[in-house]
Amino acid sequence: MNLRFASAASLLAAFLWLAGVASAESILHGVGGDFKGFDPVDSGDVESADQISRVYEGLVEYHYLDRPYHVIPRLAAALPEIAPDGLTYTFRIRRGVRFPDDPCFPGGKGRELTAQDFVDSFQRVLDPRLQSQGDWIFVNHVRGAKAWVEHLNQNPSATTNAPVFDGFIATDRYTLEIRLAQPYPQLLWVLTMPYAFVVPREAVEYYGKDFRNHPVGTGPYRLVKWRRNYRIEFERNPFFSGQTYPTSGEAGDREAGLLADAGRPLPLLDRIIEYDIREFYTTWQMFLGGQLFSSGVNKDYFEKVITPELGLTPALTARGIQLIKAPSLSTYYIGFNMLDPVVGQSTDPAVNDRHRKLRQAFAAAIDVKKYCEVLTNNRNTPANSLLPPGVAGYTDAPYPYAFNRERAKQLLAEAGYPAGKDAKGNPLRLTMIMPGAGSTDARQAADFYVEQLRAIGVELEVQQLTFAEYLRRQHEGETQTFFAGWVIDYPDAQNFLQLFYGPNKCPGVNSSNYQNPEFDRLYEKIVSMNDSPERTAIYEQMVQLVIADTPWALMTYPLGYGLFQPWFKNYKHHAFPYANWKYYNVSPH
Amino acid sequence: MNDVIEQPGLWGNAWRQLRRQPLAMLCLAILVVYVGVWVYAEATFWSAKIRGVTPAYKISNYDQRNLSPSREHPLGTNFAGRDNLNQIVQGTRIAFEIGLLTSVIVIPLGFALGAVAGYFGRKVDTGVVYLYSVVDSVPGILLILAIAYVVRSAVDRSVAMQTVTRYVDSGLLAVCVGMGFTGWVGLCRLIRGEYFKHRDRQYVLAARSLGASHTAIMFRHIMPNVLHLIIINFSLRFPGLILTEAVLSYLGVGVRDEPSWGAMINDAKQRLWLGNWWELGGATLAMLFLVLALNIFGDALRDALDPKLRTAEAKTG
Amino acid sequence: MSAYIIRRLLSVIPITIGVLLITFFLFRVIGGNPAYRIAGKNATPERIAQISKERGYDKPYFLNLQNFPREVFDAQFPRLLSSLVRFDFGISASTKQPVSRMLREGFLPSLCLTVPLFVIDLVLAVALALLAAYYRDTWIDRCLVVLSVLGMSISSLVYIMVAQYWLASEWRLFPVWGFEGPQYLVLPVLIGVVAGVGGSVRFYRTIMLDEMYQEYVRTARAKGLGGRTILFRHVLRNALIPIMTNVIVAIPFLYTGSLLLENFFGIPGLGRMTVIAVFNGDEEVLFATTFIGAILFVLANLATDIAYTWADPRIRLR
Repeated sequence: MNLRFASAASLLAAFLWLAGVASAESILHGVGGDFKGFDPVDSGDVESADQISRVYEGLVEYHYLDRPYHVIPRLAAALPEIAPDGLTYTFRIRRGVRFPDDPCFPGGKGRELTAQDFVDSFQRVLDPRLQSQGDWIFVNHVRGAKAWVEHLNQNPSATTNAPVFDGFIATDRYTLEIRLAQPYPQLLWVLTMPYAFVVPREAVEYYGKDFRNHPVGTGPYRLVKWRRNYRIEFERNPFFSGQTYPTSGEAGDREAGLLADAGRPLPLLDRIIEYDIREFYTTWQMFLGGQLFSSGVNKDYFEKVITPELGLTPALTARGIQLIKAPSLSTYYIGFNMLDPVVGQSTDPAVNDRHRKLRQAFAAAIDVKKYCEVLTNNRNTPANSLLPPGVAGYTDAPYPYAFNRERAKQLLAEAGYPAGKDAKGNPLRLTMIMPGAGSTDARQAADFYVEQLRAIGVELEVQQLTFAEYLRRQHEGETQTFFAGWVIDYPDAQNFLQLFYGPNKCPGVNSSNYQNPEFDRLYEKIVSMNDSPERTAIYEQMVQLVIADTPWALMTYPLGYGLFQPWFKNYKHHAFPYANWKYYNVSPH
Repeated sequence: MNDVIEQPGLWGNAWRQLRRQPLAMLCLAILVVYVGVWVYAEATFWSAKIRGVTPAYKISNYDQRNLSPSREHPLGTNFAGRDNLNQIVQGTRIAFEIGLLTSVIVIPLGFALGAVAGYFGRKVDTGVVYLYSVVDSVPGILLILAIAYVVRSAVDRSVAMQTVTRYVDSGLLAVCVGMGFTGWVGLCRLIRGEYFKHRDRQYVLAARSLGASHTAIMFRHIMPNVLHLIIINFSLRFPGLILTEAVLSYLGVGVRDEPSWGAMINDAKQRLWLGNWWELGGATLAMLFLVLALNIFGDALRDALDPKLRTAEAKTG
Repeated sequence: MSAYIIRRLLSVIPITIGVLLITFFLFRVIGGNPAYRIAGKNATPERIAQISKERGYDKPYFLNLQNFPREVFDAQFPRLLSSLVRFDFGISASTKQPVSRMLREGFLPSLCLTVPLFVIDLVLAVALALLAAYYRDTWIDRCLVVLSVLGMSISSLVYIMVAQYWLASEWRLFPVWGFEGPQYLVLPVLIGVVAGVGGSVRFYRTIMLDEMYQEYVRTARAKGLGGRTILFRHVLRNALIPIMTNVIVAIPFLYTGSLLLENFFGIPGLGRMTVIAVFNGDEEVLFATTFIGAILFVLANLATDIAYTWADPRIRLR
């Protein structure tokens, strides 16, 4: 789920994915997106990642309760031994973990998990023929991976094992070695992602193209029935073992009742049923009817649900409904295409300077605070850094181009457009794309931006596109400005900073096509640095460089709001919510 | 102009017949009111455009959002504190623009193809019939959607179109092109049938023997006799366009920056829960009266002008 | 007669090709290369090129003239034709499932909704139309006509929103959403009937009135037959042909389901699938639903034509 875009989803409702009903054992919850089936190589979207992580697991996972986020072993017996040069990671695999019984195994009996299963699963993510969106977690980091992928690209009929590739090696039945080309401090983070989950090769071979519909995993649940676009049902996996509810957490967790189930074997729920509800308004009606365990809060419902002090209204409090607020580690922004002749970078220093002033004027023209207030009911807060709070490298220094209409006008004049008119007296017109065609919220947000820019004399045309079209325009660099959001994939600022690295320009992740040799030099330095105060200092320096150049006009940090039925237990917001379902519980009601 | 046999009494007769039907006359009155509103809305829109200012219906007032109906705002205000009544007035403009813009495609295309097919017959006819059979076979809403989607994305990317989209909403344009390229079939069939009948009539044969060219016969001689079909077809097609736009709006390819009724209905759905029914109600009623008046008046007009058409046209609209 | 049927059957081929060309043109040629979407946001140019190659998007559209004699048909359109002949609609980019499988799963729920809707609508509309025709030009007729027009003048979106909100959510008369049992279909069917019956009544009434002004009705009346006998024996019977035509031609729409009703009520049919595909830009799914809808329509038309020849000997002479 690298590069999962917050934009479309969050414009609708940040918590839409968490809507659900329950009886003593069952939970129903609304799904918000398209789900590509149970194949970890296709876990690039929030929905697929969520579903896959019920059935499959990886070597390591995040601690559910502790903060700051850290990794604990899951299918690994312990955290890996790392060679002093940082290039070899040795994992001991937990013994006695079994794949469940399934027709794909000889005699229908599930077998024990081995180190070789990880080698096979990791190779699948890289295999170009499977077109995984997750190859980035290994391809530039693991020794020999690039050459191996290239070889398979040239010879698509080669068997996976034909060329020698020793980046992943099972040195014995229970030992896995990952050998890197250069230090990769993010390796443990990416190993928590569903891309790195382990699948049995028997299932892959037996089910072939239908593998994604027949999950065979070691995870806490197994699939019972799946009706596409409508309903999906899981039950406890009887072969799951070896994990209990954490006995410690962050300060305050005990008081919040999050440790009531401490030490109990996981998973706690016997059954999970989910419905694929796409209309927020339906979700809400069903939540109020007690059918769903949780609901998000949509903008239009907000004032009836949440008081101006951001608490729950008495009517809902009386029903025992719980409100959970949590910052999601993401930043929303308006990006500029730095290759655009009007707003972009230029080799001519004078022109470059004027264009930068134009971008800064754009940023300063938008009253983000007002935006938060009227369009998000203060669920979002104005962003002051590229990075969201809680990520090392974030500072609370004020955003230099925060809303100031007079300053915006002045910058605009300095950029060569006094009162929004160019030298010939023609008004400046800019185009912005944003996802969410047909969505009321997107239309309202668009209206807001147009008005803000009009106030300094700039005509803005907002094109609301379907998400598919929006992505295509971004990939092909056919943008002038674009509204977007970035949800962090792991708690390391590098995940954000890669968005400004020159070689990542379109169709890569650097959708702004930002180019700065100084920044690139620093980026190349930090990619192999381990977490340290020194690295954090460089992160801060890099953020300053980008903010000064303004390839993004910073908008907001979203705050997620979720409402939960009184009988729903153990929910704690997690920024990386893979594998959290096993901790949830319901009380009799 | 004695070629136009039926012409002299046609409109006069029809008018006399219509005048006898109180319901039709009531609908006509409603239509006149709508046209008045439309003209008013166009006037405010264009005067703002020409003066380069923001029209009043687009100015937000976030301190007054989602207000209930009051003396100042008879239908309350919307999410941005804009007066709903004002939005509905502008929605009338959008509805008429949809009808007109679509007709700019439908009428020439349907008429020209129908005329040549009916007049020349044989291979030309086979070709035209083939063409409209194909278009007719594709599920309508999906074809409109595909065309609208494609047009919109082309318009979005084209620099040349930017001058056009300053005056016409790009979403509106796309929707109209989509509905235009699917909507000509009905008119084409009608015109084709009519030309088929007329081409062997006395007056046509006479014109031909006098050496009139095919173009002259088609357009100067026969056309005046079938013009009323265009009016009938338009009045019966227009309500359908308005209803289709609402569905397209729901599917994400509707009008973008302007307050179309479809967009208003779709927006209002989220606020129903707050007891905010006036936005939905207002837009629905505005749409209902126009569509209803058009439907009833269109029927009456058809019966008055050409009663034979009833069966052929009953299901369109 | 068999010559006519064969000729008519053959005419399906060019129409099918025309439909294919239109859909191909719209979804593929103008829609562009979907490889970016498939490859994800982080895609490298190599991976995009590789996906394009595998899906054949790097090939020319119609004929591959570069590799002239040998692989001249190695182009997108011919490839599409050959896969359609095998009922292979490709893999959906957003669900990664074969489209043919998605269609198979979706058509039953769609039929569960559309068949009762259609039957009730038909019976009710014909009954009301008969009533209107029998009492033509009285206040009963006028009321029915005005009500029908009124019914068809309200956006179907409004029917759905109002009914779902008040009837289901507020008053709890029906389930709000879902597809768990027959009771979940009651409200959608009801809405569908209310939204659709107006247009049908108007149509059938017109047909019946047309029949009533025919020569034979006058003869029958001159013979002294009662109004009711004429209506049921003659008018209804003769009106059955246009009614049947209308019914058969509507059948393809049963298969493709109802976009709005399915989507609002969570019925996992082809209509919902189509709406979701619209939002995801899922070209393969849209192509398949459009194409199948068109083919069924063509076949339904064919069936009515053949039914006519069989029912009405005069047509054969033409």
